[in-house]
Amino acid sequence: MLAALASVWLAWRSLRGEVRLGRRAGLTALRAVTALLALFLLLEPAVQLLQTVRVRHRFAVLADASRSMRFPLEGAGATRSEALAAFLREHRPELQRLGERVDLEWSTFAGELTAADPAALAAGAAPQGARTDLLGALRAVTAGGASSRRLAGVLLLSDGADNAALSGGLTAAARAELQALKVPVNTVAFGREPPRDLAIERVAADDFAFVRNTLTVEVTLRAHGLGAEAFTLVLRREGAVVAQAPVRLVPGQERIQVPLSFAPDATGTFVLTVAAPVLPGEAVTENNQRSFVLRVIRDRMRVLLVAGRPSWDERFLRGVLKQDPNVDLVSFYILRSASDTPGPQDQLSLIPFPVQEIFGPQLKTFDAVILCNFAYQPYRSLEIERFLPGLRDYVKGGGGLAMLGGEQSFGEGRYGETPLAEILPVVPIDGAGLVQETITPRLTAEGRRHPITALGGGEAASAAAWEALPPVESLDLTRPLGPGSGATVLLEAPGTLVEGRPAPVVAVREVGAGRSLAVTTDGSWRWGFVAAERGGGDAAYRRFWSSALRWLVRDPDLTPLKVEPEQPAVEPGAPIGLSLQVRGADFTPAPGRKVAVELLGEDGKPVARGEALSGADGSARVELTPPGPGAYKVVARGEGAPGQVETASSAVAVRGAGPEDADSAPRRELLEAIAEATGGGSSVVPGGGLPRLATAEPEVVEIGRRKDVPIWDRWWTLAALAASLGLEWVLRRRWGYW
Amino acid sequence: MAMPLLSRRQLLAALAGGAAAAAWPGGARASPASSPVAIGQVQHGGRWNPRPGALRRLGWELARRTSIETTPDAAAVRLDAPGLHRTPFLYLAGDGAVPPFSEAEAAALRRHLQYGGFLLVDSADGSDGGGFDASIRAELAKVLPAAPLRPVPQQHVLYKTFYLVDHQGGRLAVKPWLEAQVLDGRLAVVYTQNDLGGAWARSELGDWEYPCTPGGEPQREQAIRLGVNLAMYALCLDYKDDAVHLPFILKRRT
Repeated sequence: MLAALASVWLAWRSLRGEVRLGRRAGLTALRAVTALLALFLLLEPAVQLLQTVRVRHRFAVLADASRSMRFPLEGAGATRSEALAAFLREHRPELQRLGERVDLEWSTFAGELTAADPAALAAGAAPQGARTDLLGALRAVTAGGASSRRLAGVLLLSDGADNAALSGGLTAAARAELQALKVPVNTVAFGREPPRDLAIERVAADDFAFVRNTLTVEVTLRAHGLGAEAFTLVLRREGAVVAQAPVRLVPGQERIQVPLSFAPDATGTFVLTVAAPVLPGEAVTENNQRSFVLRVIRDRMRVLLVAGRPSWDERFLRGVLKQDPNVDLVSFYILRSASDTPGPQDQLSLIPFPVQEIFGPQLKTFDAVILCNFAYQPYRSLEIERFLPGLRDYVKGGGGLAMLGGEQSFGEGRYGETPLAEILPVVPIDGAGLVQETITPRLTAEGRRHPITALGGGEAASAAAWEALPPVESLDLTRPLGPGSGATVLLEAPGTLVEGRPAPVVAVREVGAGRSLAVTTDGSWRWGFVAAERGGGDAAYRRFWSSALRWLVRDPDLTPLKVEPEQPAVEPGAPIGLSLQVRGADFTPAPGRKVAVELLGEDGKPVARGEALSGADGSARVELTPPGPGAYKVVARGEGAPGQVETASSAVAVRGAGPEDADSAPRRELLEAIAEATGGGSSVVPGGGLPRLATAEPEVVEIGRRKDVPIWDRWWTLAALAASLGLEWVLRRRWGYW
Repeated sequence: MAMPLLSRRQLLAALAGGAAAAAWPGGARASPASSPVAIGQVQHGGRWNPRPGALRRLGWELARRTSIETTPDAAAVRLDAPGLHRTPFLYLAGDGAVPPFSEAEAAALRRHLQYGGFLLVDSADGSDGGGFDASIRAELAKVLPAAPLRPVPQQHVLYKTFYLVDHQGGRLAVKPWLEAQVLDGRLAVVYTQNDLGGAWARSELGDWEYPCTPGGEPQREQAIRLGVNLAMYALCLDYKDDAVHLPFILKRRT
C-alpha cells in the first residue's frame, strides 16, 4: 500500500515543472490506476457466495395432564381438564393463525413430557399423572430433543398445582433458571379459588418402628373453604383403630398439624391408614385418607428372667443374656423366703417381689419370659396362681415362655394342674419327682435339624457335639405331648424312661401365636462352664441359648416361610412384586415347595391370588395386581413339614392419595409469576381468554452452504494493468519526460 | 387347684414378720434344692485348710438367711485335677506362704476364672506384705497378669447383693476394704486379708472358734454378712445393679 502511494506521489512530483495541469493530472491518474491494479493483483480478492434458507420456529403448547386437573374448576362444575379442552376448542382460530408463523408442538406433561394430538386434547382426556413438574416440563421442551430449531415461545395450560421444584413457589433460583431459557412462557391458569376440601396433605412417619416403643405419626391436614368443623382423625392398622385425635378446623388456617401416637405391640409389616371423615360439600373425597406401610422391628429382645433361687443355672444364663447386645434383660430372683431369718429388713437390699407389675399389665411388654426353677405356690400372700391364666394367654397371643428345670419346676412345682400345662411343650407329672443321676442327653431326629439344638456342621456333627457335652445331673420327669399338640422333643434322656419313653430334656411347642420351650434340667450351665474345662469352650451353651431365644421370639431368620413385598407401596395399576423364602424343617432353603399367596382387602376378602414354586435357593417370586388403591394384607401359605402348612404374612399399600390428590388448590399466582419472569402473557380461566402470546425475536434465515469465488485471477485484470502502464509510457515519451 | 397347707413354722414366721414381711413372698420354704451349690476349697501346697469349719458354717448361714442352698461340706479341689469346673465358686485360704502354682495349676485357674468362675481368697494369718499375703499376691498376678488386684469401690454391687454392707468384717481387721481382680467388668477374684474363715468357723459344740478383734461380735456379724454377699455375687453377679432395685437401695442407704 505504501509503495503504491509512493509511486503516485513520485509521479506527481516528477511533473512539477509541467505547467499544463491537464497533462500533470492525467499522468498522475494513470499512475494511480496502475498502482490500484497492482494492489488488486497482490491482495487476491474473492467473492463469498452464501446459500440461505428461511426456517420456521417451534412454539410449544403444554397441557397439564396431572390428576389435580380432575378437580372442579370452581364449585361442583366442570373439571379443570374439561375446561382446558373447551379452551382449546374456543381458541382454535387464534392458534391456527399462530401456526402459520411457527410450527406448533403439542405436548402433555405431568412428571414427564409426552407428545399429544391437539384434536385429542381438545376432545378432553382423563388426566392420570401422579405429579406436576412445571419447571421440568419447561426444561424438557426447551431442550428440544432431536430438533435443532429454536423455540419461539410456550403456551402453558395448567392449574399450577406444582408439587415438584416449584412446590414452594417461584424461588430466585427458579426464576433465574427460567430467564436463562430465553423463551417467553405464556400461561393460562385453570382455576381461581380452591374448592371446598379437606385433605390429608402429608403423613410423616418413619419407615420402621420399634415394637412397644411409642411412634408418633405427624399428619398435616389442609383445609379449603371449610368453617370451624370438628371431627376425629383416626389411625387404623388393618382395620383396627390404634390412635385417634380430635380436630377442630380454624377458618382461615389452611394447614393443621395433628400428631397421632401409638405403640405397636407386635413385630411385622403392617399397613396403617390415616383417615378423616368426608365433610359435607367436599369437592374431593379421595384425599381424606392416606395409607402407608410400617415395618415394626425389635430394638432389643426384652426378656424377663424369674428365678426361684440363686443357682448356677441362673448365674450362667444371666451371663449369656447380659452379654448379648440384642437382649434387654429384666430379672427377679427370690433371694429369701419367709422362713429365712436374715435380720432387720432395713439392713437388706431386698425389694418386694413385684408380682403385680411383672405378671400384670407389664407382661405384654416382654418378648419372652424365662421361669428358672420358679415355683408359684410357696408365696401364698402373692397369689401368683392368679396370674398364671394371664401368662398362658400371653403365650397364646404371641409371647415366648421358657421353663427351666429344678425342684420348683414342672411337676415338682405342680404346674401340671395350672393353666400353664396348656401351653408347656411337655406334660408336667405332678409328684413324679426328680431324677438325680448322670444323664447324657441324646438328640431326637427332629432335634438334629431344629435351629435350637442344631449346633452346626450338619446333623451328624450336631449329634456328635451333643454327645461330647458334659452330662446333667438332675432331671424333672415329664412326659412328651402327643402328636397334633404342636410340641416337639428335641433332646431326650435315653436312659430315663417315663411311661416307657425317654424323658424329654429339651422340647418346644407352637401354641397359638406364641411359642414355649422346656428345659427339664437345672444343669444346662454344665454345657458351657464344665465343657470349657475340657478345652472346647462354652460356644455350644451360648449357641443353644441364643438360638432358643431367637426361636422363642420368632426371629425372622428362623421362620420357615417369609413373604415380603419388593416395595412397601406401589402406584395404582402397578403389579406388586412379592419375594418368598421357604425353609425346610431344618431351616435350610427348601427348593421345589409350592407356595400360594393371596392379597386380602381391608374386609379380609381375597382380591388377588398367585402361586409359585421355590427355586434351588428356596426363594420364589409372585406378582399380583391389586384392584385399586388401598391397604392389602399379604398371606402366603406353603408346604412345611409333612402334614403341616406354614403361613407368613406381610402388607403392602397401593397409593391412593399422592401429592396430586392431597392438594386441590389451583395456583394461578405461580403461573403468573412464571409468565412475568419470562416475558410471556398470562390469563386465568374462568374469565380470561388466550393471552397475548409473546414469542422470541425471529431469525429469518439460516445459512445452508457457503462458497468463496476469487476475482483477481481474471485476464482483464492483467490486461488493464498492462494497458495503464503502456499508456503512461507512451504519453511520457510523447510529452518529452524521458 | 389343690394348695398345700401352711406349716406351723411357716405360719409363725409369717405372723412374726409383721407389716414388713407382708411385702415379701410369704409362704413355705421351697423344696430342698435339686442342685445345691457346692463351694470348692482349693488344695494348694501350703496350709490350705486353716479353718476347717468355716465353709460349713457359711453354708449354714446361707441356708438360714437366704434362699441359697449349699452342699453340707465344701469340696476339696486341686487346681490341676479334672473336675475343677464342677464348682464355679472356689475358696482359697492359707496360713503362711503359698508355694508357687505350677504352670498347669495357673493355667487351669485362669481358664476357670475366664469362663465365669469366682475365687474368694482368704488370708488366715493376718499377714500384710509377707507370709500368705505376699505369696498369694504373686500367684494371683501370675494367673491374671492383665488384671491387678485393686480395692473394691464402696459403691460396688458386692456391698449390696443381699445385705447393705459398708465395711468388711473378719476375725481380724487388717484392711478395711476388699481387693479384687476384674475380668470383663466382673469380680473374678476377691481377696480379703481379714480372715473371714476365722470369723465364720464354729466348733461341733456350737462355739465360735476364734474371737474377732478388735470389734468383737459385730465384726463377726459383718464377716458373715459379707460372706452372704460374696455368695450372692458369685451366683447373681450384678443383679442388684438392675434399675428396678436402685430406688429401694438408695432409700435404705439414706
